Amino acid sequence: MLDSKIPEGPIENKWLNYQIKAKLINPANKKALSIIVVGSGLSGAGSAATLAELGYHVKCFYYQDSARRAHSIAAQGGINAAKNYQHDGDSVWRMFYDTLKGGDFRSREANVYRLAELSAPLIDHFVQQGVPFAREYGGVLANRSFGGVQVQRTFYTRGQTGQQLLLAAYSQLYKMKKAKKVELFPRHEMLDLVVIDGKAKGIIARNLVTGQLKRFVADAVVLATGGYSRVFRLSTLAIGCNASAIWKAHKRGAYFAAPSFTQIHPTALPQTSEAQSKLTLMSESLRNDGRIWVPKKKGDNRNTNDIPEEERDYYLERRYPNFGNLAPRDIASRAAKERIDKGYGVGQLKNAVYLDFRHAIKQFGMHTIKDRYSNLFEMYKKITGVDAYQEPMQISPAAHFSMGGLWVDYELMTTIQGLYAIGECNFSDHGANRLGANSLLQASIDGYFILPNTINNYLANTLNEMRPTLEHPEFDNVQKEIEQQIAKLLSINGNKTVDHFHRELGKIMWQECAMSRNKQGLEKAIVQIKDLKRDFWKNVKVTGSDKEMNTELEKALRLADFIELGILMCTDALQREESCGAHFREEYQTKDGEAMRVDHRFSYVSAWEYNNGNFKLHKEQLEFEYVKPSVRSYK
Amino acid sequence: MKVTFKIWRQENAKTKGDFKSYEVYDLTKDMSFLEALDHLNELLVERDEKTIAFEYDCREGICGQCCLFINGRAHGPHSNMTTCQLHMRSFKDGETIVVEPWRATAFPVIKDLVIDRSSLDRIIEQGGYINAKTGTAPEANAILISKSIADKAMDAAACIGCGACVATCKNSSAALFTSAKINHLNSLPQGHQEASTRVLKMARQMELEGFGSCTFTGACEVECPEHISIINIAEMNVRRLKAKWFE
Amino acid sequence: MFFKKSIIALTGLFLCIFLIVHLSANCILLLPKDIARDLYNSYSTTLRESLFIKIIAYVLYLSILLHVVYALLITLRNRKAKSQHYSINNFRENSSWASQNMGLLGVIILLFILVHLANFWARIKLGIGENIGLDANGHVNVYEVTYGLFQNIYFVMFYTVLMIPLGLHLNHGLKSAFMTLGFYHKKGLRILAKTSLIYATIMTVGFGIIPFILFFK
Repeated sequence: MLDSKIPEGPIENKWLNYQIKAKLINPANKKALSIIVVGSGLSGAGSAATLAELGYHVKCFYYQDSARRAHSIAAQGGINAAKNYQHDGDSVWRMFYDTLKGGDFRSREANVYRLAELSAPLIDHFVQQGVPFAREYGGVLANRSFGGVQVQRTFYTRGQTGQQLLLAAYSQLYKMKKAKKVELFPRHEMLDLVVIDGKAKGIIARNLVTGQLKRFVADAVVLATGGYSRVFRLSTLAIGCNASAIWKAHKRGAYFAAPSFTQIHPTALPQTSEAQSKLTLMSESLRNDGRIWVPKKKGDNRNTNDIPEEERDYYLERRYPNFGNLAPRDIASRAAKERIDKGYGVGQLKNAVYLDFRHAIKQFGMHTIKDRYSNLFEMYKKITGVDAYQEPMQISPAAHFSMGGLWVDYELMTTIQGLYAIGECNFSDHGANRLGANSLLQASIDGYFILPNTINNYLANTLNEMRPTLEHPEFDNVQKEIEQQIAKLLSINGNKTVDHFHRELGKIMWQECAMSRNKQGLEKAIVQIKDLKRDFWKNVKVTGSDKEMNTELEKALRLADFIELGILMCTDALQREESCGAHFREEYQTKDGEAMRVDHRFSYVSAWEYNNGNFKLHKEQLEFEYVKPSVRSYK
Repeated sequence: MKVTFKIWRQENAKTKGDFKSYEVYDLTKDMSFLEALDHLNELLVERDEKTIAFEYDCREGICGQCCLFINGRAHGPHSNMTTCQLHMRSFKDGETIVVEPWRATAFPVIKDLVIDRSSLDRIIEQGGYINAKTGTAPEANAILISKSIADKAMDAAACIGCGACVATCKNSSAALFTSAKINHLNSLPQGHQEASTRVLKMARQMELEGFGSCTFTGACEVECPEHISIINIAEMNVRRLKAKWFE
Repeated sequence: MFFKKSIIALTGLFLCIFLIVHLSANCILLLPKDIARDLYNSYSTTLRESLFIKIIAYVLYLSILLHVVYALLITLRNRKAKSQHYSINNFRENSSWASQNMGLLGVIILLFILVHLANFWARIKLGIGENIGLDANGHVNVYEVTYGLFQNIYFVMFYTVLMIPLGLHLNHGLKSAFMTLGFYHKKGLRILAKTSLIYATIMTVGFGIIPFILFFK
């Protein structure tokens, strides 16, 4: 039933074959077609601008005050591309293989190959857009290596790569706004999707300044709303990041794929108090030069710098001699958790490990290290008050990227006709674990290169259809549902704050559905979250009204969806009885604690259908024609 | 620790605002400033009051959304820092902390501490980009750019668009913001083609939006979280003169 | 706005140069009384009779006028850009007091100039007040006017103290003028900052000390 629409032909030619066969729309007709894009991050802004350049009429929605604030901006490390500028054996094939293997063979070959294939022109594109990538003295582009690969294929602009790429996309979006091809709706949050005759035809959004609900109709809807790791509350994501748009789409019929595949990033700053709202990420690129260790002695309270070399346990180098500190994220996170759980953790709450630059500074000199990471060191100092040039940083794993998301086919269309999901909010290329510097890549490629070449294949068929009006009864129905939900939230007038419930949800999810999971814990978590849901709808308190800017109401609406998503995540994690990538089931591990895949049972993508509060599993079998799944060893 | 927040409350753009004081007791030194405000908001909910609207998103100093004027300084008492990077350890126990929205005619208040900074976006709209459609780019290494130029462009490009420069400037000048974008793009070979129109249009929009003119007090570069140098403004000026009189 | 700002910078720079010439001439007053009188009076006669200097004088008046008028216009516009002020503003932590108060300093300097013109220009050029005699060489005895003025301790104080706002104005103004006109060389700006400070100090001390010396002479 799930048709991934993978084109014919050898893997190198699939994308070309697709484009040859896809329907095109002549420029005059494009003008008449209208597309809604929700989200203004790298994929949202990139696609909105590109679609507008192609001639479509685009409306772009985002909850922030400016498109430039979308959370793509926070990606620090870089963006991968198979340019092989370093002459170190890289190729499209190698990148395809690395990504597929990095994802523990839980993604579609054809998609991953396309990702690698389009990476090189993407760098050309961004350079042309004025992204000031790091350069060598001779003027050519510089590269660095990133977790999980053995070549240097990462392009970067200091520690602010996401920012520079997003600003390029954002300014391109404004260029198209000036050309009157794009209408922008800042401080507007999509609250629901309107599906008419099985096709996505519009959205209802709330103006966050006035509180007004507004209807928007279009010929296709593109969701580019990013990841949902805020379900853990403490994550590296922006506070406003939410799952509401994709969750509402899910409830309207879009399948949700692999919801439990969420990545825990190994190098964030540790939590220091209950009131904490956010875990700041320190770029993974730090692992290029920094060495990770914990003291060999439990509860070692000596000054960090007083612990002699032979009493330090460089556990990543010990366990994974080939990749050492550059082991992929899931592995590095789990290894840290293993040490911390065993009582070797450092810092105030004993929940951190050291990331040490002493050797790098000795080897390359202070100047080089400053040149590479000065802004990260500065950020570290601002937040912790500690000078990391003098003593090691303390880092800790934190919820980060969600590989899971709305199920999409090769065209990035969800199971609802005319509804597309791009960037982090879909499940496409990363499988069970994402490699460092691949998220900017996927978001950009989805937005700039793929969607603008696949959406026409659908829109060509809608040319002769009548576009529904805003008075269509389905708009009435959806709006009524939203109004009821808002009214309910405001009327409960209970005794607990929204943040209270979010903290509780976060605790359950972090405990049972994060770095390692087990049957018993997940079953318990599902019960707990269901209880929490009941409690929420009985005892939450939201002050203010719906006819004004009301951040409490915004938070409550988002949390209501996070709670439901939490149940699905645990359901998915429970059902997948294997360990793969970021999904680590304690029951399925090798003797030395490594993840154990069960290919004969689980070599498929789980796509969940929403059914009145229950979830029905659909399987998209994964076929590996070109790469034989192997045990993902980084030893 | 205990602090007293004296916070600007304003119902909406049309009403007049005023300060209101709130005493908060159970704060810790490790809390970020915004977390302290979160905490205050939870207390307000419990007291059945409307929460204080204030801006934030990434809380790691890069999105530029947070914008508070704290104890007489944009982004608080430290230099070159965003509000979200400010922690309570920077304040004394028992201190009164005055929090205001950023003041500039081009940044009207929306509610409480939330302001409208779309004027900055409209400056970008006038030319803060390179006109190149997706798919039209030449090979990335075909045009060499020396490291020093790339570094210089990046120094300017680092701007997060928070508007602290405008907030702190006695003239509410957006010159630092505008010059950073102009110098980023105009110093790269890709941006050369539109260099003069870019500088003229963006600078003109800056004036149309009602920002004041730069008198080089230097306050902006001290408050800029990204250390954008005021020299950028001088460079913009020479680009402007050149574009206006010699091209 | 940018055009106006550039005019303020250009006229400001011109006035800076004028001050150098003015101070050099004032230094004549420091010579022994007889030499000073002859030299000073013949110098001022030369100035009054030269066509070139006449033109320069008009440029000078125009410069002051433009500098003042445009500064006023820009200030009004800048005030409009910040319609509401902060209840607390610790601007001293991010910028110098002078840079924040150039307008106020300018007004003080303008008042000074008016008094200064009344003391000298009005007497010598317009002939208002007591008649001025001629010296031994037949030149108008401007020296006596100056000397006479600075026997009054109140004028000495006025002329000395008001050189402080001038110095503050010059120190910021010189740097700022260069940057307004687009001087953006990094090292050059560091040198410029030092130059501005030295220049402003020389002007303040130079102009400020001469009345004192005349008082005690």
